[in-house]
Amino acid sequence: MSLFSVCRLMAEWTAQYMLIPIFNFQEGLFPPFSNPAGSVADWLGTDGGLDTLAWAYAVNIAFAVGMTNLILVIHLERKIAARIQDRRGPMLSFRSFRELGEDLAGTAPSWRFKQNYTGIGILQNMADGIKAITKELIVPAKADKFLFTMGPIIFISSSVFLLVLFPLSDRFAASSAPAGLMVIMAAFSIAPIGVLTSGWASNNKYSMIGGMRSAAQLMSYEIPLLLSMAGVFLLAGSFDPVVIVEQQQESTWLFGLPMWNFIPQFIGFIVFMICILAEVERVPFDLPEAEAELVEGWTTEYSGIRYMLFLAAEYIRGFAGAAVATILFLGGWAGPWPVPPEIWFLLKVYLILIFWIFIRWSVPRIRTDQILELGWKKLLPLSLINILIVIFMVEIYPYFIEIVTLPEVF
Amino acid sequence: MWISMGPQHPMTHGLWTLKVKVDGETIVDADPELGYLHRSVEKMGERRKYFMNTTLTDRLCYASSTTWTHCYALSVEELMDVEVPQRAQYIRTIMLELQRLASHLMWAGAYMPDLGHITGALYFWRDRELFLNLLELPSGSRLLYNYIRIGGVKRDLPDGFEEKTERILKLFEQRLDEYADLFENSKIFRMRTEDVGKFTASQAQNLGITGPNLRGCGTKFDLREHDTYEIYEEIDWEIQTREAGPGYGDCFSRYMVRIDEMRESISIIRDCFKKMPSGPTMASNVPVRATGEAFRRTEDPRGEALMYVVGDGSDRPYRWKIKSPMFTTISACPYYLKGYKVADIPAIMGSIDICIGETDK
Amino acid sequence: MEIKSFMQKLSSHKGITEVGLIRKSVVKFNLEKEGSKDFFIRLKDDFGFEHCSLISAIDNQPQFELVYHFSAINGSVFVKDSSAAVMAEIHIFLERDTPTVDSISDLWFGANWHEREAFDLMGIYFIGHPDLRRVLLPEGFAGHPLRKDYVYEIHEEEW
Repeated sequence: MSLFSVCRLMAEWTAQYMLIPIFNFQEGLFPPFSNPAGSVADWLGTDGGLDTLAWAYAVNIAFAVGMTNLILVIHLERKIAARIQDRRGPMLSFRSFRELGEDLAGTAPSWRFKQNYTGIGILQNMADGIKAITKELIVPAKADKFLFTMGPIIFISSSVFLLVLFPLSDRFAASSAPAGLMVIMAAFSIAPIGVLTSGWASNNKYSMIGGMRSAAQLMSYEIPLLLSMAGVFLLAGSFDPVVIVEQQQESTWLFGLPMWNFIPQFIGFIVFMICILAEVERVPFDLPEAEAELVEGWTTEYSGIRYMLFLAAEYIRGFAGAAVATILFLGGWAGPWPVPPEIWFLLKVYLILIFWIFIRWSVPRIRTDQILELGWKKLLPLSLINILIVIFMVEIYPYFIEIVTLPEVF
Repeated sequence: MWISMGPQHPMTHGLWTLKVKVDGETIVDADPELGYLHRSVEKMGERRKYFMNTTLTDRLCYASSTTWTHCYALSVEELMDVEVPQRAQYIRTIMLELQRLASHLMWAGAYMPDLGHITGALYFWRDRELFLNLLELPSGSRLLYNYIRIGGVKRDLPDGFEEKTERILKLFEQRLDEYADLFENSKIFRMRTEDVGKFTASQAQNLGITGPNLRGCGTKFDLREHDTYEIYEEIDWEIQTREAGPGYGDCFSRYMVRIDEMRESISIIRDCFKKMPSGPTMASNVPVRATGEAFRRTEDPRGEALMYVVGDGSDRPYRWKIKSPMFTTISACPYYLKGYKVADIPAIMGSIDICIGETDK
Repeated sequence: MEIKSFMQKLSSHKGITEVGLIRKSVVKFNLEKEGSKDFFIRLKDDFGFEHCSLISAIDNQPQFELVYHFSAINGSVFVKDSSAAVMAEIHIFLERDTPTVDSISDLWFGANWHEREAFDLMGIYFIGHPDLRRVLLPEGFAGHPLRKDYVYEIHEEEW
């Protein structure tokens, strides 16, 4: 009863009742298009065609789930940030419509002026989205038009691609690549192309500087990131998220609690957290888009929906980064029975995200050269030490124990 | 390559242009440009009568307006030879110290977002609200008071002012201790502000830098003691200095000087309330005409404010010259910007505490 | 050194026409225009006035007057039994047609922009200033507004 089987059933049902009749109808209609339409209908009847349709549905469902999580993440960030800063945050919600109606009709109670359209604030994101869509799309005069448009497209498409790559549990997987996590990290690394393109194509000194800084930071934090993940890969023996989570559920310690990877590989966990923060460009590592000296950096010249796509892509990458951290180190979707594993996974991801939100609003940002110094001089050696520890644990320790407990030696 | 941090920029507190010449990320030269806010206050002051100029001086520096009115009132009182009664002097000192607290909180609230710490802005400005509410009680307005007049103050303090002030000061002291944990002890804050924007004390004196910027280099020079006015002689308080090393200061020492000054202001206000006598709050005969020339200087939260007034026998000033501490400090910016990175500019220029209203007159 | 001996030592300098004491810690000098630079060099090097506070320009019709304020921060000149910092106030009178005077911005960097402002608003030219241009008013502005005979309507079309 996995996502794929549900989608396969949906594919069979829709193909049988909707798609194949349409294509068959189209076959007799337009002679130039008839042959392809007929063969499409035939292909949809076969196993391969139904599988492809099922995968298409699965990807769409995963995308929808990811986007819903995105809205929730943005809302959570704004509310928690506001509470840290001693204020309430966005308060526009469905209740505001009722209150607006009461105000217009004149039946508002007398204490209304104190309360000002309170609510949970879930509609604020929709309001911001509508505002972004209705703004004028400005392209600067001397900017390279093609690259100016392609920059955001590269950035957001590589980020959205991430949403369907990681599974929410062993049965909710929209992709079944055996090299799952490597594909995820590769998709993370496409982003500097989009950043550099947007920064350069804006024809603005500030944006170019911001783009270069961002690319330098992202590229120099890839190495400690991948090295700290290498420890987990060695232990699990595969890149597949399902295998990694299974490995974490096997080994136990204290009272039968499973030993998730953040305990033996503590150094790797810390290095990974810092590097993934730098990779998704959150404070304290967000100097490339710092408001203070570079006026938003490489996104300065973007307006309207393009700017919102940048922001959304950053939150999606944040979410994906937290998901990767959960799979690798926190046991993925493992948890006691009554709660379904998908909910466990999302709970852990949100825990990490809330921790990151706390850091973001409590700490100033670090200067670029200090970031690069931190990455090269401190995190790289630590991640190498982590790999050495894992190699010792995995390869050498069993032989060592065997040798030591041989009856001839002791 | 010359980068222009132009008149419209989120970092530059106020309306001025900073052109920096960069070589990669390192700053090689700097060229500031002012004048966007020039309102010809000195020429306007020559057309208005002496007592009408107190509204103009409020608007010189909108972040700390009482100190400028006070400087003007002191220099005109010296010109006209007017003696201010004791109670008025105590009230003036209290308002000045409250204004100093509000101005330093405004500075801190503007400095934190430059470093990336937006929560800091909200915390400091939340506390500034407390002091603006306090300052509203005697004078009637929150930002531009027109409370200090030539010869004294406009009216006496309202009832219950002392209890309210004491309550707010106690709350603020606790909050200052919280902020010490959040900002000073934060490793990233120190990384951003230490060893950045250094200049030595002797360089600073030659460059014309005064006030907390000079005290951040270790020089014990405060105009409240070294050119004393009002009743600062009768209150025991100390000059706060910090230095980052022998004889020089950096952004962190300037930050700490202002935080220490805030604590000192709290104790000055408490002491004033204890020692305040009763009596009139305005001198009885303030003349309308004046002849001669006089100048006084006061310790503005930003440095040394000096006003030089020349009278020619009529009821309007003949010439009125305003000296703003930020004028010379901004002119010296090549000296403390050279050699640092572009990313350090907000940290350095924020720690200098710029207010363009007084610079451009 | 004490303020009285400082007054005596400097009143014998060439070009001083008048010496007085304002307010116990401020010494006032009237100085001739020629050779004024030597006086300032002596003030800085021998007596330690390292802070240039203000340079004001006044338009006393029919002549200009420049008022310099310096202060001794480090206490090389002091007043007995008081912690007041000593200030020196120096007046220099200039003629109306082409008011020029030697610039002191190579001695005190703080005087640089004060002299630019005096040039900008009053039209006094400082010989030897490294970069004498307008500081508060925009470039291309005609006239010097703080003069008493400045009439706005004449310059209105130019600006």
